[in-house]
Amino acid sequence: MSETFAVELQDVVKRFGDVTAVNHVSLQIKEGEFFSLLGPSGCGKTTSLRMIAGFEMPTDGAIYIYGERQGYRPPNKRPVNTVFQNYALFPHMTVAENIAFGMQMQKVPKDEIKRRVDEALAMVRLSNMANRKPKQLSGGQQQRIALARALVNRPKVLLLDEPLGALDLKLRKAMQIELKALQEEVGITFIYVTHDQEEALTMSDRIAVMNNGIVHQVGDPETIYEHPADRFVADFIGETNFIPVKVLSLSPTIEVELGSGEKVTAGWAEEGLAVGDRAVLSIRPEKMDLLELHEAAKLKSNDVARVRGKVAHLVYVGTDTRHSVTLGDGTEVVVRLQNIHIDEEPWEIGEETIVTWNAAHARVLKE
Amino acid sequence: MSVKTEQLQSDHDTWERVKSKFGGWSLSAYGILAFAFLYLPIVILVIFSFNDSRSVSKWAGFTTEWYGKMLQDGQILLSIWNSLFLAIVSTIIATILGTLVALGLERYRFRGKTAVDSMFYLPVIIPDIAMAIMLLLFFNMSGIGFTPWKVNFFGARLAVPYSVIIGHVAFNTSFVAIVVRARLAQMDRTLEEAAQDLYANAWQTFRRVTLPMLMPGIVGGALLAFTLSLDDFVITFFTSGAGFNTLPVRVFGMIKKGVTPKINAVSTLMLAVSLSLVVISILLSRRSGDGDSVQMGF
Repeated sequence: MSETFAVELQDVVKRFGDVTAVNHVSLQIKEGEFFSLLGPSGCGKTTSLRMIAGFEMPTDGAIYIYGERQGYRPPNKRPVNTVFQNYALFPHMTVAENIAFGMQMQKVPKDEIKRRVDEALAMVRLSNMANRKPKQLSGGQQQRIALARALVNRPKVLLLDEPLGALDLKLRKAMQIELKALQEEVGITFIYVTHDQEEALTMSDRIAVMNNGIVHQVGDPETIYEHPADRFVADFIGETNFIPVKVLSLSPTIEVELGSGEKVTAGWAEEGLAVGDRAVLSIRPEKMDLLELHEAAKLKSNDVARVRGKVAHLVYVGTDTRHSVTLGDGTEVVVRLQNIHIDEEPWEIGEETIVTWNAAHARVLKE
Repeated sequence: MSVKTEQLQSDHDTWERVKSKFGGWSLSAYGILAFAFLYLPIVILVIFSFNDSRSVSKWAGFTTEWYGKMLQDGQILLSIWNSLFLAIVSTIIATILGTLVALGLERYRFRGKTAVDSMFYLPVIIPDIAMAIMLLLFFNMSGIGFTPWKVNFFGARLAVPYSVIIGHVAFNTSFVAIVVRARLAQMDRTLEEAAQDLYANAWQTFRRVTLPMLMPGIVGGALLAFTLSLDDFVITFFTSGAGFNTLPVRVFGMIKKGVTPKINAVSTLMLAVSLSLVVISILLSRRSGDGDSVQMGF
């Protein structure tokens, strides 16, 4: 271990009785990074966060914060602060008292507390709310106070547990931008737990996708979306077509056979697949196109896959139209076509078509 | 539609109107009766405490003579001081114990917790007389007996048997524990985690977050304990030995020689104290900030 990470999880396991909430998770989070733990509820993301904060102790493995092993160190002795899902503002204290709490516990001099509380309130643009009780604030304001209460302590790492979950969509979008801007401004490492993939994609520097206590993939948003490592990631992030296939060859080119007998090449195959294995071909709907039968015949390139199909139904969604196409083996795929050519001849239900995609955009994944 | 059916229809409407009117009226009447049943005796008690006659059934004009007589009666005054002292001491002890019990039962898991849990409801459920006899036997057999605590309480020289204090603490602790626990169960535990996260140690977390959040419950429990202690007759009577009177015990003694307006005056005084306590508890619960009412549990 040469580089010191802001937070490092080494083979961390957490069991609650018979349930394994976190199963051999290893993560390395760099200083100043906006790192998201993304996954469906019960995937172990919140438990991982709570272990970093010190609310839960790992059953096995080790957690390091700036190279220091945390062990059984209680939350009040860790250089991290948390923004809770329900904000957890103290209802019997004013906004200013809430923000001052952490500094009072650390015996910061009184005049410095006052100055930093004012600064923190200014940072979240709620200076005029100092003497209110949390109950008198709106959800978005409470959210910002919770943020100020944590950041005012200048933690080395800020932990956020679905902090925008309780806000309505419009406010959430605004807060996402605000939060990201704030993180860049203060330069503190953020570890952000969310089940909202769009939120994770728009805000994060890197994302760890989790399910059933396991980290499936760690990468920047583009990698996670464009190059999903396995079927779960491809399915959970965005929308994907899965076409059942049989692996024909893996090198030098990856070739698979569809149920209809048609053969196509793919850009990447998941590790551990062997020739003859059953697998799925994963392609994003916006990476596909539809061609007339005669147009497809003119295509010469081997890098473009061509599969016969029949338009099953169409859904107009404004920016684009979702074309559901039934392939020869009965698999239904969704092809999203931008409505640039809407005035030209549109596809009709029942029409024969050729579905094409760039072979590099197709990934062979385990079933 | 013929004239006749129209007539029938309108008769029917009238009948429905009468029925619904009668329904509303009888409901109000029932309500008034119920209130009368509950409060008429109290009203009569208060009125006759000002009656200028020894008779408790014939009104003979207004006087405050009986209140004066009450205050001159050394026995009554002593019993009032006894009652107050007993209520204050047993409330303080029961509130501390009950709060600790509530915290222990709500926050920790231990072997036999379910048994302890249900045991704490026992003093609330079992008849006072059973508890009184149990305590009496206990004090006799354990040798604690009825040794008095001699104390000067605001100038009044009291001799309060330890047994009575223990008896009152024994039943009050359960009531406080139940009330505080209800409050604790409602409390959001992430608040305590937030305090820890903000560098508070276990004691600071309790002192700065848990206790203030719990205060309405603790005050509610304490007021309940105080009222119960002030009102108690059976357990006091059985556990005090000879010669110690609280106000209810004293009143019982007086009544054996016949009801006088003095007893009405004493009762009115007790009523006023109890009512004030209820009002205080309601006001406190309103002021408790987050709008939750004090959970009395009853």
